[in-house]
Amino acid sequence: MWTVPRPNYSTEGEIMVNIGGVRVALLGDVLQRYPESRLAELLRCSSSSSQSLELISSLCDDFDASRKEFYFDRDPDAFKCIMDVYYFDEIHIKRGLCPICFLREMEFWRIESCVLDECCRSDLSEKEDELKDISDKVKVILEDLEVERCSTRIQRCQRSVWRLMEKPGSSVPARVIAIASFLSILLSALVMCVGTIPELQVKDADGELMEHPTLEAIETTCMMWFTVEFLLRFASSPHKLHFILSVMNVIDFMAIAPFYVVLSLTYLSSTSMMELTNVQQAVQALRITRIARIFKLARHSSGLQTLTYALQRSLKELGLLLMYMGVGIFVFSALGYTMEQSHPETMFRSIPHSFWWAIITMTTVGYGDIYPKTTLGKCNAALSFLCGVIAIALPIHPIINNFVIFYNKQKVLESAAKHEVELMQLQDNRDGRKESRERMESMESSP
Amino acid sequence: MLPQLKVTMEKSLAELHEAGSRSTSSLPPGPVDIIRGKSCYRRVRLNVGGLPHEVLWRTLDRLPRTRLGKLRDCNSHDSLMEVCDDYNMEENEYFFDRHPGAFTSILNFYRTGKLHMMEEMCALSFSQELDYWGIDEIYLESCCQARYHQKKEQMNEELKREADNLKDRDGEEFDNTCCAEKRQKLWDLLEKPSSSVAAKILAIISILFIVLSTIALSLNTLPELQDTDEFGQPTDNPKLAHVEAVCIAWFTMEYLLRFLSSPNKWKFFKGPLNVIDLLAILPYYVTIFLTESNKSVLQFQNVRRVVQIFRIMRILRILKLARHSTGLQSLGFTLRRSYNELGLLILFLAMGIMIFSSLVFFAEKDEEDTKFKSIPASFWWATITMTTVGYGDIYPKTLLGKIVGGLCCIAGVLVIALPIPIIVNNFSEFYKEQKRQEKALKRREALDRAKRNGSIVSMNLKEAFARSAELMDVVVEKSGGPNANHLSPSHWKWNSKRAASETSSNRSFNMQELGSPSKVRVTSPQRLNVQKLEEMYNQMAKTQSQPNLNAKDKSSRGGKQRDVIELGAIQDHSPSVFGAREGVGDMKSLSSIDSYISCATDFQENPRLPLSPALESGHQESNCFLYGPATNLSQQANAKSGQQTTGDRDPILTPMSATKSLCSESARRFFFSRNSSKTIYPKGGSRSDAESGLSPLSDSSVVSDHSLLSTEISVYTTASSGTPPKSPESTALTVFTFHDSSISKYIDADTDDDEHHRDLSDSSPSGHLLASASSKCSITKNYQRGTNHLEAAQKVLGQNCLFPLEGVRSKTHENHIVHEIARRPKVERGFQKTVDKSL
Repeated sequence: MWTVPRPNYSTEGEIMVNIGGVRVALLGDVLQRYPESRLAELLRCSSSSSQSLELISSLCDDFDASRKEFYFDRDPDAFKCIMDVYYFDEIHIKRGLCPICFLREMEFWRIESCVLDECCRSDLSEKEDELKDISDKVKVILEDLEVERCSTRIQRCQRSVWRLMEKPGSSVPARVIAIASFLSILLSALVMCVGTIPELQVKDADGELMEHPTLEAIETTCMMWFTVEFLLRFASSPHKLHFILSVMNVIDFMAIAPFYVVLSLTYLSSTSMMELTNVQQAVQALRITRIARIFKLARHSSGLQTLTYALQRSLKELGLLLMYMGVGIFVFSALGYTMEQSHPETMFRSIPHSFWWAIITMTTVGYGDIYPKTTLGKCNAALSFLCGVIAIALPIHPIINNFVIFYNKQKVLESAAKHEVELMQLQDNRDGRKESRERMESMESSP
Repeated sequence: MLPQLKVTMEKSLAELHEAGSRSTSSLPPGPVDIIRGKSCYRRVRLNVGGLPHEVLWRTLDRLPRTRLGKLRDCNSHDSLMEVCDDYNMEENEYFFDRHPGAFTSILNFYRTGKLHMMEEMCALSFSQELDYWGIDEIYLESCCQARYHQKKEQMNEELKREADNLKDRDGEEFDNTCCAEKRQKLWDLLEKPSSSVAAKILAIISILFIVLSTIALSLNTLPELQDTDEFGQPTDNPKLAHVEAVCIAWFTMEYLLRFLSSPNKWKFFKGPLNVIDLLAILPYYVTIFLTESNKSVLQFQNVRRVVQIFRIMRILRILKLARHSTGLQSLGFTLRRSYNELGLLILFLAMGIMIFSSLVFFAEKDEEDTKFKSIPASFWWATITMTTVGYGDIYPKTLLGKIVGGLCCIAGVLVIALPIPIIVNNFSEFYKEQKRQEKALKRREALDRAKRNGSIVSMNLKEAFARSAELMDVVVEKSGGPNANHLSPSHWKWNSKRAASETSSNRSFNMQELGSPSKVRVTSPQRLNVQKLEEMYNQMAKTQSQPNLNAKDKSSRGGKQRDVIELGAIQDHSPSVFGAREGVGDMKSLSSIDSYISCATDFQENPRLPLSPALESGHQESNCFLYGPATNLSQQANAKSGQQTTGDRDPILTPMSATKSLCSESARRFFFSRNSSKTIYPKGGSRSDAESGLSPLSDSSVVSDHSLLSTEISVYTTASSGTPPKSPESTALTVFTFHDSSISKYIDADTDDDEHHRDLSDSSPSGHLLASASSKCSITKNYQRGTNHLEAAQKVLGQNCLFPLEGVRSKTHENHIVHEIARRPKVERGFQKTVDKSL
């Protein structure tokens, strides 16, 4: 529309830039410290005699020839921070700016992200983690939404079963299934507990105590249900390997497997391929693994998942806790043992024996099965109690902190992910609109 | 415009800019100008609250439906002004009068497509900004979205709670049934321990009774103190039973009194604290009932067991302490709020118990003489170990069992410690909230005061208050009931309508009646016609206008006639006067400023009194009134508070009204000067201006015009006498008090003025109509006057709001005013009938 007189800034070594309304005069040699950056390139472009308008306009958004200033349609606040790199070789993100956005700005100005100072980088990584979590969630949600896009009928069936089993919030039947599964877990756990009560047990032919037949029946039904559930899940899962490696499914498998092992063992013993006593021992041992089914509850409680997640994250602190406790136990049991030696009827027969006492005292449980009798031993007990409280309280704090953070995040994450999906749809729509509009414009301009 | 346009079209760019600038200063630029101005630049300057931004048009086009997107498409002056607040074609700059901080992030949204919220930004104001710029909040990035919604919800919740609180405070209206005042006093005494010393003592006594009854309850179970009944079963100690009976009697009495005095019975019944109270009382009566009715079958075990259960329920009375302790209340609230976390805690514990008890069972079951006989039996051990209580009745003996036990201890400590911080957090948040609420209340009162002082006039505040008022309205509508009518603005609208209809009927009636007596004392026809009509209109204020006449004409003809009528009228009116006086009496006990209010209300009573004997002295008094109006007023107030009977009051009060009505020019001038220079006459005058329905105001505006003086005064005396037939004015009063006592208390001075304006304009047409009956020229003048007064009234009201002393009025006064006004309409009905009869 208007002709641009060729400016020659090489003599001045200074360029005027206008970033979103904020005008800054920049010295050329300062900009040259980062020759890769956009501004340095702009400087080179404008100063070289063979500059071309296209190149300049590719670098900046607008060029005002009369004022000899380059216009950038960017955030002036972020630019102020980014300018620091030319002077101080490091960048600090201004408070209130989103780190992710700031990273984009840095990309625009072609400044490497490594110049970002350490203190701000932690902020950035935190934000990135959060975004990653959200994007994971979003991926899951999007996968759910993709059910309709599955082409073949088998796939569609698989998807719907998957949703039915895995997503209780998706439909009413899915919810019913989830509740049924939850109740069956509770029921089987209850049966396991009740089955051990001697009054409810029956004697078998050999005079051995056996579980009540009705309880056995309930147990079997529950197990059948678990098996069906597990198999359906496995069959319908889109990523089999992923499914097998998932902690929840491992727990599920652990809960089911003992039952079938016991079944097969009894079959083997009945066909006298193995000795009966061995089989019985194995069966007894395998009964303990039934406890694993309680962990199946974690599938239905986000709080439990948070707990496991928090514990996973704070393994270091847990180790610290155990170490503190271990050191305390060693020290105080040894002390207690030596101090109680003077008493004739001492309960501290050896140091390993007094470990138990130390644990019970340090955790402030205090059964009273072992207790010190001498004065010195009592003092030691008081000291160990105090140290135990501190040793537990100190490392527990970060664990709790982790838990609280995850708990709060969990609450937010779901809504954030949903919002993200909405946002994506909106943007899709907008892009679609824009495209259609552009198409309309081009059609209008063509005739 | 057109020729100029043509010229500019031919001219070059720079000149076009000049034209543009000129047109913004003088004439708005045409569409061509604007389009051309826009097409010259690829960029646009946006000045938002003083902070300049520059952005490409292209960037703004990314969101064409937003405010900034529309800016491009605006081609005419009007549409531009709709979008922005100001613009300058020459500079290509558009001005928006908004918060600049929020705009930076909003503009970045156009640039990057990512909407972030500044961390320090208040979520509520940010959402307002988003509304203004036409951007949906859904575009907010997910990292900020959670924070934004959390904050917004929190703010909304807080606003709602505050509104609830205010509603609770102001919603306790006792105007629906008999002996309202006594009931309110009783309610205050029982429910608000901080309201008076007696209430505090009562609360302490109540606490003592609770403690005493609990002690008696526990002592009752001591075997040494128990008696045996005829079946050989232990029963209560007779002395302790007496203590118990007395305590229960006290509790019952307290509950019943509370129930009787409560303004909202159903709400009272539902209240959790009251449910606890009921539960504390009921078991006793149920026990008595059961034992009395089943005396013969008491030996049966079942009845005994039921009675025992009810006896245990008596322990619920310890919860009655919650009424007297906010700490207990917040504990209850916290538990209710964090039931999710409590559930988590219990789930964790249950799982831990399950796992460890089964583990220890398998570890220990082969031990001889073991106590871990089954998994359910070892539940107890696991519980005691996980909670680190450790009774020692069961403990593991094998090595494996001991390892499990050690793990159980540590796991227990961990598992219990984890969800508790969340609960604690809830508690502390709630606690903080309570603290903040108390502070917010104080702040709000201070703000209110400051607003009346006029030191704060801001748009934002107004909006915020309007919002809170909306909330309030919602709440009020929900609750409905009798409280609603003086809280919601719909009330006074309706009231004014009804009042208007009343006046119209009344007026027509009067016009027929009062033609003859007025003719008797005609001196200057025009003025008297108006005068007459005013008299007809103002049955009550007739005496007021009469001395006026006397002063002007020095004629007492027909005075006696009218006196007779008036006396009859007054006798009929007396109930209403008394009704009003009660309210006044309430106010009197308050501060000196308030005594001015009572003065103002005195004006409405004065006109009804026969004035003739006091007239001469009235002149003298008026002089002295001129010299020391403030003292005079205060004297009057004092005198009035001292003397209740009308007879005593007359000599002092009438001159007052006389000065108001027949005051000489100097008096008027004084008023005028007073109004213009507020500092001279700080409180009394302007206060009474407002409260009495602007009676002195008339003086100030009349100064130049003598001929119409009387009519105006009568108009304004009607205003001052808030009596039924002239209820447009009385509604004006209502409105004023509405401002004072309204729940939100945040209606700006501006809006208040608006309301006044509206109501006064309601009243002025009535005056106008009246005048039209007599003569045309007086109509116009009168009408003009009326409007003048309206303006003056607005001004004075505005000044009122600036007066520092106004803010001193405390809330209790306002309440009294409200009562008075609330009561008035009832009296009005009967009163109007009597007027009609007398005529």
